[in-house]
Amino acid sequence: MVVSPVVLMIMGAVVGAAALAFVFRRAGGRPLIGLGIGAIAGAFGSALFMVPLDYCTFEAERQSLDRVFGMIFVLAGIALVVTPVSWLSGKLLRRESLMADDQTQGTFRHWWIALPLLAPTLTILVLFLYYPSLETLRLSTMLSRLGARREVFVCVDNFTRLVNDPAYVDTFVRTMFISFSIVVLSMSLSLLIASMAYLPLRGASIYRILLVWPYAMSPAVAGIIFLLMFNPSGGLVNHLFGKWFGIKLGWLNDPAVAPWTIILASVWKSMGFNILFYIAGLQNVPKDLIEAGAIDGAGLLRRFWHIVWPMLSPITFFLIVTNLTYAFFETYATIDYLTPGGGPLQSTTTMMYRVIQLGVQNNDMGKAAAQSIVLFLTVIGMTIVLFRTGGRQVNYGV
Amino acid sequence: MKKLVFLSIALVMVIALALPASPISAQEKTKIDVWIAFQDYRWDWAKAVAAEFNEMFPQYEVVVTGGYSYETMFAQVAVAAEQGQLPAVVQYFEAATQDARDSGLFKPIADALGDRTEINGLTVDMEDYVAPVIAYYTLDGKFTSMPWNTSSAITFTNMNYLRAAGWDKPPATWQEIDAACEAVMALDKAPEYCWTFPNHGWFFEQWMAVQNALYVNNGNGREERATEVAFNSDAGVALLEWLDDQYNKGYLYYSGAQGGDSWSTVDQAYSTQQIAIAVYSSSDTTLYTEMGEEGGFESVASFYPYNGEVGWTGNLIGGATLWLVDGLDPAVEEGALTFLVYFTNTENAADWHKVTGYIPIRMSAYQMLTEEGYYEANPNQTVALEQLAQSTITPATSGALVGGFPSIRNVVTAAIDRVLLTDADPAEVLAQAAAESNVIIEEYNLLNAP
Repeated sequence: MVVSPVVLMIMGAVVGAAALAFVFRRAGGRPLIGLGIGAIAGAFGSALFMVPLDYCTFEAERQSLDRVFGMIFVLAGIALVVTPVSWLSGKLLRRESLMADDQTQGTFRHWWIALPLLAPTLTILVLFLYYPSLETLRLSTMLSRLGARREVFVCVDNFTRLVNDPAYVDTFVRTMFISFSIVVLSMSLSLLIASMAYLPLRGASIYRILLVWPYAMSPAVAGIIFLLMFNPSGGLVNHLFGKWFGIKLGWLNDPAVAPWTIILASVWKSMGFNILFYIAGLQNVPKDLIEAGAIDGAGLLRRFWHIVWPMLSPITFFLIVTNLTYAFFETYATIDYLTPGGGPLQSTTTMMYRVIQLGVQNNDMGKAAAQSIVLFLTVIGMTIVLFRTGGRQVNYGV
Repeated sequence: MKKLVFLSIALVMVIALALPASPISAQEKTKIDVWIAFQDYRWDWAKAVAAEFNEMFPQYEVVVTGGYSYETMFAQVAVAAEQGQLPAVVQYFEAATQDARDSGLFKPIADALGDRTEINGLTVDMEDYVAPVIAYYTLDGKFTSMPWNTSSAITFTNMNYLRAAGWDKPPATWQEIDAACEAVMALDKAPEYCWTFPNHGWFFEQWMAVQNALYVNNGNGREERATEVAFNSDAGVALLEWLDDQYNKGYLYYSGAQGGDSWSTVDQAYSTQQIAIAVYSSSDTTLYTEMGEEGGFESVASFYPYNGEVGWTGNLIGGATLWLVDGLDPAVEEGALTFLVYFTNTENAADWHKVTGYIPIRMSAYQMLTEEGYYEANPNQTVALEQLAQSTITPATSGALVGGFPSIRNVVTAAIDRVLLTDADPAEVLAQAAAESNVIIEEYNLLNAP
C-alpha cells in the first residue's frame, strides 16, 4: 500500500468533521457533536467504494493514474455520505419537517398504509433499476464474459484504459457533437414547424397528424428505409442527387458526411414528439397577451420573442431534457441500421453505440459496464447543470 | 370497512406477486425446444420441417424459436444457461465454435449417437455429410455439432458488363479482377464502380485461407488453444494492399457498412447494376441468380478470387451448425437427436439448398439433384460445393478456432475500413489490429481456459 487505509479514513474524518461542525454551528447545535458525527460519516465515506475495491488502487505495483482514480473514488465516497448527513442534521436541528411542506391534505391515518401502496413500484425499482445499477458497478471492476468459467478482478483498469485510449476520447467528443446537433436541430426545426402547423388553416389537424407520424414508426423500420434511401451506390437519394445536381455524396461511407446522415435521421425521428409538445404549448399561450402586444405595435418577431418564447419555456426545458436523453441513449438503432459497425473510420460510433457493441456483440461485460458508467455520469452531470442554470429561467406562467 | 377491503386487496396483490404462475397441465408429448438465429424465410422453412416432423413422430413436439442474429444468440444462450432454461438444440455460427466448446454446455453429436446407425427408425449415415464441413466441426477427434446451413464465399458477376468489356468468363484472380475492372470502367456505359464485397470479417478470413495463410497461431487453434493472431503476415498485408489499390483506382465500392449488417448494401448495389462484380456468400445464390433474371442481366457465380501470385489452396466454410445441449432428459435428448437427423436428411438437405443457396450438406442430396437435372438448369448452385470439394484441407483452410472471434472480426473490419479510407500503411494498420486482437484472445483465455 502506498497510502494506508487509515490515512484515507483520517482524511475523510477531517473533511466530514469540518463540514458537520460548520453545519451544526450555523443551525445552532453544538459544534462538538457535529465534529463527532462528521468524523464518523467522513471515515465511513472514505471506505464506501474502497472496501469493495479492497484498496486495490493504492497497491504498490499500481500506476499513478490508478492512485488518482482511487483518490476520486475516496472523495466521491466522502461526498456521498457527508452530504446527506449534513442535510439531515441541518433539518433536524432547525426542527424542520423532512417532507415537503403543505402536505396535510389526504394524509393516511397510519404511516404504514403507504408501504403496500409503494411496494409494487419499489419492487420494480429494486429489481430492474437499483440491483442492476449495483451489478454494473461491480462488473465495471471485472474482466467478465457471459458464459465464461470465471471472472477476474481488475481493479479500475476498465476506467484507466479509457483515459489512455485516444480512440475513446474521440468517441467522447463525437458523441457530444452528434448529440447536441440532434437536440438543437430537432428542437429548432420542430418549433418552426409547430408554429406553422398551429396557423389556422383548412385541414390543419391532418397536417398535425402527419407531422407526428415519424415518431410512431419503429426505429428498425425507419433505419432500413433510410439505409435503402441513402446507400451511396444504388440508393434513391444519390440517384436523384446525381440526376438533378450532378453530385453524389458518400452519405454512409464518407467519414465527414456519415455523422450528418445520422443526425438527419435522428432529427427526423424525434421531431414528431417535439412538434406534438410545441403545438400543445402554443395552444396554451393566452391570445389576449398576443393581441395586446399587437395593439401596442409589436411585430411578429417581437411578439414571438417577448411573449410566445417565454411562455413556451417550460416546454422547451422539458424537451431539452428528454431530447438529450434520446440523443445520448436511444440513437443506437438508427446508427446500427444506417452505418452498421459504427461508421467509416468509426465516425458514427457514439458512447452508447460502443457500450452495446462491447457488451452485446463482443460479450465483454466489464469494459461495457465501465463505459456505461462514464456515459451515465456524463449525462447526469449535464442534466444537473441544466437544472441549475436553465431551470431557473423557466417561466411557469402568469 | 373500507380499510378492510383496501387491505385485503393489497394482500391479494402481494400474494399474487409472490406466487408462481400455475403449472401448465401435464404434457403427454416430449417438448423439444430448438433456437435458431433467423427470423426470415429461413425460420419459416425450419418451422415447416418441424411441423412435418411432429406429424411423423407424434410423441415429440419440436418448437423452433427464431432469434435476431448469430451474435445475440450467444448472449441469449449464456443467460438461459444461468437460469437453467436452456433449449435442447441451439444454432451457433462458425465463429462461436470455440466459445461453444469452452462453455461446456454442449454434448458432441458423436457421443450422443454412440455407434448407432439408426435412431427412431431413421438411418444415420455420417459418411454422407460433406467432408470440409465434417473437418471444420470435428473437434478433439469427435464430430461435435450437426451442420445445417453451410456456405462458402463466392463471386457473382454481371456478365453483361464483362462481355461488353471483352471478357467471356468471370475473372478468377486478383490480377484478373484488376484487368477486367480496367476494361469495365472504360466502357461508355460503365457502372458506378466495378466490384464490391461486404466488409464482414469472414471475407478477410477467406482471403487468408486461399493464400494458405493462418489466421491464428497453433495451427489455426486446432493443435492447441490459439494464443495470438497470425494474420499480420505477408499474406494479410498483400491482401490489404490489393484492396487499397482497388479502392484508390475507383474500382472497389465500399459502402461503409461493417459486420453482420453489411450484406444488404451489396445486395442493393448489385441488383441495381451499379457494380459489375459482387464477392458474396453462396448462402444467397438463389437470390443473386434471381436478381439477374429480374434485372435483365446474366448473373454468373464463380470461385472466390485468389492471389494469382500465390495460387489457390482452398476456401473456408461459413454458416452455422446445430448444437445439442448436454445434460438433457434422455427422452428429450433422443427426440432432439432424431430431429437433427430428420432435419438434415437427403430430401430436406436438397430442399434447403434449393430454397437458399447454402450448400447441400449431404452428398446423397447432391446426387439426387444431379439426377433430377437441377444443376443443368441452375449452374450457379454447384459453385460453392465444387469450390469446397476441390479445396485442399490444410490447417489454414480448415478455419480458425479462437475465443472472442466475433470481437476480433470487428477489429479486422475496422482495419480494412482504415486502410481504404486513409493513407495509413496497410502493414502498420494490420500490426495494430493484431495487437488489439491479441488482447482480446489473452483476456478470453484468462476467463475461459480450463
